[in-house]
Amino acid sequence: MYKVLPENIKRGDTILEARGITKRFPDVVANDRIDFKIRLGEIHAVLGENGAGKTTLMKILFGQYQPDEGEIFIGGEEVRFKSPLDAIDLGIGMVHQHRKLIPAHSVIENIILGHPRAGKILDLKRAEQEVLEICEKYGFGLDLNAKVWQLSEGEKQLVEIIKALYRGAEVLILDEPSSALTPIETEKLLISIKAMSAGDLAIVPFITHKLPIVLQISDRVTVLRKGKVVSCIDTSEATEQSLAKEMVGREVIFRTQRATVEKGETILQVDDLSAFSDKDVMVLNGVSFSISEGEIFGVAGISGNGQRELVEVLAGLRKPERGSVSLDDVDITFADSLKRWQLGIGYVPADRIAMGSIADFSLVENVTMNYYFDHEYYRRGVLDTKKIREITNDIIAEYDVVTPSADIVAKCLSGGNLQKLILARVLSRKPRLVIVDLPTQGLDVGATEFVRNKLIDAKKEGAGILLISEDLDEVLSLSDWVAPIYEGEFMGILPGEDAKRELVGAMMAGIHLDEESA
Amino acid sequence: MRIGSHELNLERRVSLSGWQAAGISILAIIVALAIFSIIFILAEINPLTAYAEIFSYAFANPFGLPLTMNRFIFILLCTYAFIIPFTAGLWNIGMAGQLYAGSLAVYAVLLALGVKEFQSVELPATLVILMMLIAAMLGGAFIGGIAGFLKGKYNVNEIVVTMMLNFMTFWVVSFFIKEGGIFMNPGGRGESFELPPSLQPSLIFGVPFTIFIALGAALLLYFVLRKTKIGYEIRAYGENPTAAAYAGISNFSIPLLVFIMGGALAGLAGYHYFAAVPGVYKIARTYGYFGDLAFYGIICGLISRGNPLAAIPVAFLFGGLSIGARFVQGKLGMSFGVDFALLGVLMITLVAFQFFYRYKLIWENSRGEP
Repeated sequence: MYKVLPENIKRGDTILEARGITKRFPDVVANDRIDFKIRLGEIHAVLGENGAGKTTLMKILFGQYQPDEGEIFIGGEEVRFKSPLDAIDLGIGMVHQHRKLIPAHSVIENIILGHPRAGKILDLKRAEQEVLEICEKYGFGLDLNAKVWQLSEGEKQLVEIIKALYRGAEVLILDEPSSALTPIETEKLLISIKAMSAGDLAIVPFITHKLPIVLQISDRVTVLRKGKVVSCIDTSEATEQSLAKEMVGREVIFRTQRATVEKGETILQVDDLSAFSDKDVMVLNGVSFSISEGEIFGVAGISGNGQRELVEVLAGLRKPERGSVSLDDVDITFADSLKRWQLGIGYVPADRIAMGSIADFSLVENVTMNYYFDHEYYRRGVLDTKKIREITNDIIAEYDVVTPSADIVAKCLSGGNLQKLILARVLSRKPRLVIVDLPTQGLDVGATEFVRNKLIDAKKEGAGILLISEDLDEVLSLSDWVAPIYEGEFMGILPGEDAKRELVGAMMAGIHLDEESA
Repeated sequence: MRIGSHELNLERRVSLSGWQAAGISILAIIVALAIFSIIFILAEINPLTAYAEIFSYAFANPFGLPLTMNRFIFILLCTYAFIIPFTAGLWNIGMAGQLYAGSLAVYAVLLALGVKEFQSVELPATLVILMMLIAAMLGGAFIGGIAGFLKGKYNVNEIVVTMMLNFMTFWVVSFFIKEGGIFMNPGGRGESFELPPSLQPSLIFGVPFTIFIALGAALLLYFVLRKTKIGYEIRAYGENPTAAAYAGISNFSIPLLVFIMGGALAGLAGYHYFAAVPGVYKIARTYGYFGDLAFYGIICGLISRGNPLAAIPVAFLFGGLSIGARFVQGKLGMSFGVDFALLGVLMITLVAFQFFYRYKLIWENSRGEP
């Protein structure tokens, strides 16, 4: 067994080094001779687009994958990780983008879960003492006896960070640390990260988007593109534009312009719509609005304010408690989801993996999700796979989905490519109404720009679009109407040009339009 | 693990082709037979002789082979009763109950036609046999449908429901065929009345015609599950019910449908053993034994990974070994239960080898190690 960290390593010394890491998958080289060094006490961001090989590299550093070639050194000694357990033993901690906590358990129970010292009999008192010391050292404030389901996303993430530290992490890998956080929580996270690096930990955040965060916190940044390291520089020498250019390989325009389209007939009419959440709480409370042809109606708000229920009711996946919905003057309040697809509602869900796609289905079969019910695509009950394959190939070409073929399974696609596939599949049906929930969440700058432009194209072709987003800039730059949502109610509906950042921000926090203007 | 200058490592497989899966299964069978030879050695029997006897009786003997075929057809139909719900991600462990109900429905048709009373029937035999087949399917589908309905409507666990229905239908059959039940054999031996000779279907090369049903089901299922709209819906629901609901696939009708289809095939297995296999032609007193045999459908379904065509050789092997091992037990004077023990070892080994579906062993040259 290797020993944990040689004693003589000081702040600023190289703690983790990767040399010539190469990992091949069938048809693709995910990591191509990657070298990089992490120093103790630095915040070293790894930046790259979806599909640039970040996830693979991260999994190799954490022992989930074994590299085909190359070596990893910790404190100058070569190490080989057979599994994440080896990596954890050698001081590597990982905070996943998707939380791996048990909601019904308390914070402290989650932290000690799997800890070698937890043993067979729990000594919660002692563990609590030790965890409290960690919290004090870095200034984390957290109620250790709260149940995890009661926590906000930011607090859950903190639990995962503490868990890694309690297991003795010296190098902390953070996967998309700010992706699910509100702006305020992001600020708190950045403070925590700074505190940890000041305490001689090495922090390695892997980031696809939100370049400002990289500039704000990191000391150094390594940029990956197509499986290779394209640059490794001190952050002080980088700008948002230069990083984006290195990531994407071309200049990126950061602002998408709102397109003006002549307003057409009303497509969607929603009156006094209310719905319960899964926990039987009224979380959507009497919203009314309408969307016309060529309009983007943006709902801005922090997740958990009723957006999910609104979208699910409109998609036919949740029964409304009261109110009515009509599409092209046809009442669809209680229509099932199949009926809605057939009537021309296209829905791009926020959860691409759990809802929007089927991981073990090929891309063709995933595209079939939106075509199997269309009688033009089956005859006597037999699916016309050839036709659907053509559509899939068209989608791959037009949307530049990076994949070796249309027969690869969806779980092999990176997040951005999967989102492109889902969006393209939905838009390819030329829906009357498009519902897009968090369309660019987790996407890199290039893919984000692409997705937004596609939405604008759909709008120009006369579709009505309901855009749900947490990203205020996205809502403001795209929407013809902006409806800030707070605790299940619209705080007002503003025409796009009147929606000023500060005003919308205040309304998202629960200040009603009338109060604001009074 | 280190051997000499080489290191044996496990690596996660990225993909697995059907042929690789088949190769792993064949390897597993060989290993299982090797392990089981210990039993023969302990009984002071040469394992090679024993296996030669088992295989030649099961697959090459004029008396053994027809028995193997009967078992094979039965197990194959039960495998499909498992595979269809399995494709939708649901576990049917109620083939036993479904085949009891199917058999009961078959004899209910005969009872209604007055066969029990007169030992003959006025309608053409072909028509009556067709009615019996339909009744078998309806009976099985009804019991299966209960589980499917409860799953789809109220999300009640299908494993529990199908399991409980096994017990219930077992006793329902008892009620009807034993101690004064309306299906009771006039001879009163705790079995149902017998099928009149005119309704005993003729054999084709010594094999019941139900083999065409079983093999037809293989092709039909292979096609339906892979190529059709409904097959797509079943597979999508099986892979990811949330995504299926998003795409407009009903979370109610798919569970109901797969259990109706599965139940119908299990019902046919009941028809096969109690109305088409020579020498039986009644609901036998030992019908519970066939209920137990139906559980091999689960293991065959798992080994063939839900592939209806791959299930054919697997079911054939299991059918043959159960017959051959029982024969060897008698011939070589071994103690009771050799056939079950052999099938048990085979099952465990096959399931254990599925580990290699996800991992592969690789030899590596380790560098510069002392």
